[in-house]
Amino acid sequence: MHVLIETLIIGAGTFLIRAISLSWGSRVIWPAWGQKWLSFVTPAVLGALLGPLLFLPDNHLVPIVHNTTLLAAIPTAIVGWFTRHLFWTVAAGVACFAIVTHLIW
Amino acid sequence: MNNRRLIAKGIRDAVPIILAYFPIAMTFGVISTGNGIPWLVTILISVWVYAGGAQFMLVSLALAGSSVISTVATVLLVNLRHFLYGTSLGPAFIHWSEPKKWLSAFGLTDEVFVVASNRYLQEPPFPRYHLAFVFACYGSWLAGTLVGASIGQTVPAAVSQILGFALPALFLALLLSSKRSGAHIAAAIFGAILAVAAHLLQLGNVGLVVGAVIGATLGLICQNFVESCKQTNL
Repeated sequence: MHVLIETLIIGAGTFLIRAISLSWGSRVIWPAWGQKWLSFVTPAVLGALLGPLLFLPDNHLVPIVHNTTLLAAIPTAIVGWFTRHLFWTVAAGVACFAIVTHLIW
Repeated sequence: MNNRRLIAKGIRDAVPIILAYFPIAMTFGVISTGNGIPWLVTILISVWVYAGGAQFMLVSLALAGSSVISTVATVLLVNLRHFLYGTSLGPAFIHWSEPKKWLSAFGLTDEVFVVASNRYLQEPPFPRYHLAFVFACYGSWLAGTLVGASIGQTVPAAVSQILGFALPALFLALLLSSKRSGAHIAAAIFGAILAVAAHLLQLGNVGLVVGAVIGATLGLICQNFVESCKQTNL
């Protein structure tokens, strides 16, 4: 059962990342470039996750007018930009996706 | 303030996160069991991993048949940002005992960090307040997962397909609610281009790791470049 093994390792790893950094947070001084580089990892990972999801919905390029995911992502991004709110962005996104899917099919 | 009131205040301050977590966790439960991951494993993922984006990612990579090593490496790389949360919140917990630090670290999610970092650097938290705050959020996440996982297989396919958009929406929300300087947006765009290119070249999930590491490095280079331009102008 792959999922179970993955869950156990990822859970332990995530906890160690959180706990070690918090425990050492006040005692160890990190090099400035390391902190700076880490602050770019999150957007880069999120971009790398979003790219294929938005542009290759069925693992190949789809014309924009038929790409429901990409079409729904545009208003979702606008809501995210202005609200900066996790819940409202996801809610608006799912609503937009429902509307776009309904219109195209 | 007495202990009871500290706990009550912690729970009260958690309300916005509780409200946001419940439906997202429910969506996670629906998608996970709806796609054939056992109920108990779905619950275990929320109990043990407790990180929204990572859980969705874990499920979608597992269902796509990605190998154990690449799934684990990808998700942990994504969660590496938590290192930043711990190191920047660390000073607020300097007087806490080690076990209390480790206990509170378990609940250090994106949203908890954002809320806590705005509050604690002026006024370090009492352990009871902070633990009540953190575990109230955790409770909401577990309750949402429980409800979603229990109804997952009865939800019509069309509805669970629409709920599947919660994943890209969550990634967009996380991207747009954190740092968004030109260089950070550039890192995201580089990451996206590299991952799409890797997919088109049939490199699979290698693209994610390459996109993350090279994208982050290019973002940092952009920022350094902009800063050095500013300095030469002065």
